Amino acid sequence: MKGKPILFICIILLVFSLSMIVIAGGKILPYPIQQHKLDNGLNVVTVQFDSPGLAAFYIVVRTGARNEVEKGVTGFAHFFEHMMFRGTDKYPKEKYSAILKSTGAAANANTSKDRTVYHVTGNAEKLETLLELESDRFKNLNYSVHGFKTEAGAVKGEYTKNYASPYARIREKTVDVAFKVHTYQHTTMGFFDDILDMPNQYEYSQKFFKRYYSPEYCTIVVVGDVTAEKVNKLAQKYFGDWETGSHTDNIPVEPEQKETRFAHLQDGSIPPFFALQYKGPAFSDKEIDMPALDVLSSIVFSQTSDLYKKLVYNERKVRFLGGGAADSRDPYLFGINVSMVDKADMQYVKDEIVKKLNEVKSNGVDKDILAKTKSNLKYRYAMSIDNPSRIANSLCRYIALTGDPESLNRLYALYDKVTIDDVKMVANKYFSADALTIATISADEEGGLK
Amino acid sequence: MRKLIPTFMSFLIILFVLSNVSAMEIIKLKMPKSNKIVVKVMFRNGSIADPVGKEGLTQATVSLMAQGAAGDLSYGEIQDKLYPWAAGYFGSVDKEVSVFTFQVPADFQKEFYVILRDVILNPAFNENDFKRVLTNQQNYVDQVIRASSDEVYSKKVLEDHLFRGTNYQHMKQGKSASVASITLDDIKNHYKNYFTKNNVTVGIAGNYSEEILKMLESDMAKLPDDVPSIPAPGKTNQPNGIEVEIIAKEGAFGSAIFTGAPLSITRSDDEFAALMVANSWMGEHRKSYSRLYQKIRQARSMNYGDYSYIEWYDNGGGFQLPPSGVPRQSSYWSIWIRPVQIAKQLKAQYEELADINIGHAHFALRMAIREFDLILKNGMTKEAFEETRTFLRSYIKLYAQTPADQLGWLMDSRFYNRENYLKEIDMLLEKLTLEDVNKAIHKHWQVNNMYIAIVTDVSEAEPLAKSLKDNTDSPMSYSNLVKSGLPKDVLAEDDVVASQKLNIKSVKIVKSADTFK
Repeated sequence: MKGKPILFICIILLVFSLSMIVIAGGKILPYPIQQHKLDNGLNVVTVQFDSPGLAAFYIVVRTGARNEVEKGVTGFAHFFEHMMFRGTDKYPKEKYSAILKSTGAAANANTSKDRTVYHVTGNAEKLETLLELESDRFKNLNYSVHGFKTEAGAVKGEYTKNYASPYARIREKTVDVAFKVHTYQHTTMGFFDDILDMPNQYEYSQKFFKRYYSPEYCTIVVVGDVTAEKVNKLAQKYFGDWETGSHTDNIPVEPEQKETRFAHLQDGSIPPFFALQYKGPAFSDKEIDMPALDVLSSIVFSQTSDLYKKLVYNERKVRFLGGGAADSRDPYLFGINVSMVDKADMQYVKDEIVKKLNEVKSNGVDKDILAKTKSNLKYRYAMSIDNPSRIANSLCRYIALTGDPESLNRLYALYDKVTIDDVKMVANKYFSADALTIATISADEEGGLK
Repeated sequence: MRKLIPTFMSFLIILFVLSNVSAMEIIKLKMPKSNKIVVKVMFRNGSIADPVGKEGLTQATVSLMAQGAAGDLSYGEIQDKLYPWAAGYFGSVDKEVSVFTFQVPADFQKEFYVILRDVILNPAFNENDFKRVLTNQQNYVDQVIRASSDEVYSKKVLEDHLFRGTNYQHMKQGKSASVASITLDDIKNHYKNYFTKNNVTVGIAGNYSEEILKMLESDMAKLPDDVPSIPAPGKTNQPNGIEVEIIAKEGAFGSAIFTGAPLSITRSDDEFAALMVANSWMGEHRKSYSRLYQKIRQARSMNYGDYSYIEWYDNGGGFQLPPSGVPRQSSYWSIWIRPVQIAKQLKAQYEELADINIGHAHFALRMAIREFDLILKNGMTKEAFEETRTFLRSYIKLYAQTPADQLGWLMDSRFYNRENYLKEIDMLLEKLTLEDVNKAIHKHWQVNNMYIAIVTDVSEAEPLAKSLKDNTDSPMSYSNLVKSGLPKDVLAEDDVVASQKLNIKSVKIVKSADTFK
């Protein structure tokens, strides 16, 4: 009998949380996002989640390949992620590793276009130890010239590992062609020549640390078996004396593209492949463009789409088809990726894709499918947030883009507002031949796709 | 006597299978607060059940079930139904099991269940789906495996060598010729014979209703009643000294390395906990505080990372934590050295290295194997043992953070005849002594007999083969700017490593195009 009221409350809570998913304008994240800004500008975000004894602690730094504006130092945000594991006076790298090991946590870091994220998931009781450890390296990182030069070898090792894949190599060529001025011209790894020169850039690395590893560029995110009160207190204790920086970037603006561009990789080792990369918008949680493009990509390119069924299931000319816009701080690319069965069908498949996009430009999309797509987007997210790391990771994504984790809730509220006219509007606005870069991989010397 | 062992193993497997006949056990993990349900259906078959000449058949069967029509619905119609719910399912195959994983919001479990049931009980196996699925599988064995990741490639080459001549040898996707020979009738027969109620384990997690549970119980009992004749899993070959296979690949950027040697224990054995501690200290997956990582990556920056394993670790490049759904009875221990530089790349980058003959592969191998030699000689220290045990007792709790992971680990537990492996291994770790660990190290690790697979550039293959075969000294070729700052102890250790003798008995170069024939 004792269990019944609890079960009842659970059911009510569950019904409530699920109804949140389907109520228009409701918040997609069924847990409050508690934010607290320290005096030095460091934002501290806490989400309480029912994961007994477990917490995820993330730090997002809003710097990535995008911030690498100077010539000769591309790839530095990523390189710096490596350097952050090289220790401080108080905790040299061996000691840092030993303490981290003692917490039994899973820790790592990664870098992309717009941000660098450091993450630890483990025992919630070890949170103070972890905050102390992380605050020390964010405030007091101190590596030797030798340590710096040595680490450059590991970065080249990472490049060596990644670039076995022809898909990674065509990506590198594509962004180099699609962007002429903006820093999105290089991948997160950086230009290869710059990677080779990394060991000589010790002084620049010091400058880089000073610029971006300061409170106004960073946000702490803690999700799990914690309270905001505790997290805020610990953040103040360990990060409160961190000095605010003063750097602002001047990221070059990419001029409007006015012609179709081409990138080709001659490689017959994988099935023929092509990508159509259209210039897309920057992420916004206020403008309808990006949500409308997300809806469009799901309708036109998902496995349920007419195009997918025709090309993959019925005609079997295509092995894989996918498309979508990458969220980014500045305008980036809407990519459609196609792995072919036979190179001879490439032009036909490309024409079918363009034909489909033209149909959307003229006629929009079906009302019923639009409603199903909105449902798909929400349920997909709701099912994905089943542990502290996944919630923290999704919050970091939006913090990187706008600085505010609430952008997550605002984006999903915008999905609800997308209309057929919005989808038509974005199709006309972004899918033009002048804004297109065509990338191809085949055994042939040239791509040959028009 | 040797011939009797497989017969005895088959008998045991049949006993296991028959013991399942009496009742269809469903592993249940009720989570009333969850907003979804997860169902896993695991069959004891896997790629070892592929007939000779039809390697890849289990994979093709599972792919067609998971990516084809079922019941009255075409695959496209199924996708249409799943779309608004964002529900989905997939099938995976390993050597000894096939697992189907289904996930749906709790709101739609009843409607979704009909599809789940038909995927398992009534796959349509139509011709059009078959052609699509098989074309992709053929592409994989013909091209993708050689072209996407040299690291995955080297791991598959290693397994090909370790299990040569056994049913564990071939990739689950099969071989070029065998995949080409698979027909739709083969798949239909394979389904009927190897996907039965006598070799299935079913699990459900999340906020499921009693109604769904009852339906699942009664429907899964409708699977064919045949007793599948699953062969005994192939055992690792015994290497004669160190046997190396170098895959010469056009345009490789580095040398990707995997080593492997037979291991007689699995999670079924209590002793596994002892070796787990030693292995974690030596080379915990993706951890900077293990020995191999600190020596090869951290002190010398030769590559992106270096790890060791005492069981199969699926998709190590993708997963930070070990996934469930890939349990195995035949095991080996291994070292993963991520791609190191080849001579061609080093020469292009540093003038002072213009005269080098080979890149870093020989040195890295010597260094990794020497670390195992050292632990065999010196054992683990009390301090290292305590630190590593404490780490593991926390870390293993992170393996199962989601409902799907929790269910997967529970189902794998049954494979190893355990009730709840993650709980039991923690208890074993708690009881462990340093003596247990050092005993396990001596019993299961050695450095003189192992297989090594290296995927490298064609320009590196010949000189590297010669260097390995002749046990030539392989001094570490640092750039001047790194070498000038290296501590004396690192340089002194390098001298020792460079001339470390390895018990290499054979080195063979294989052209990339000739692998997995």
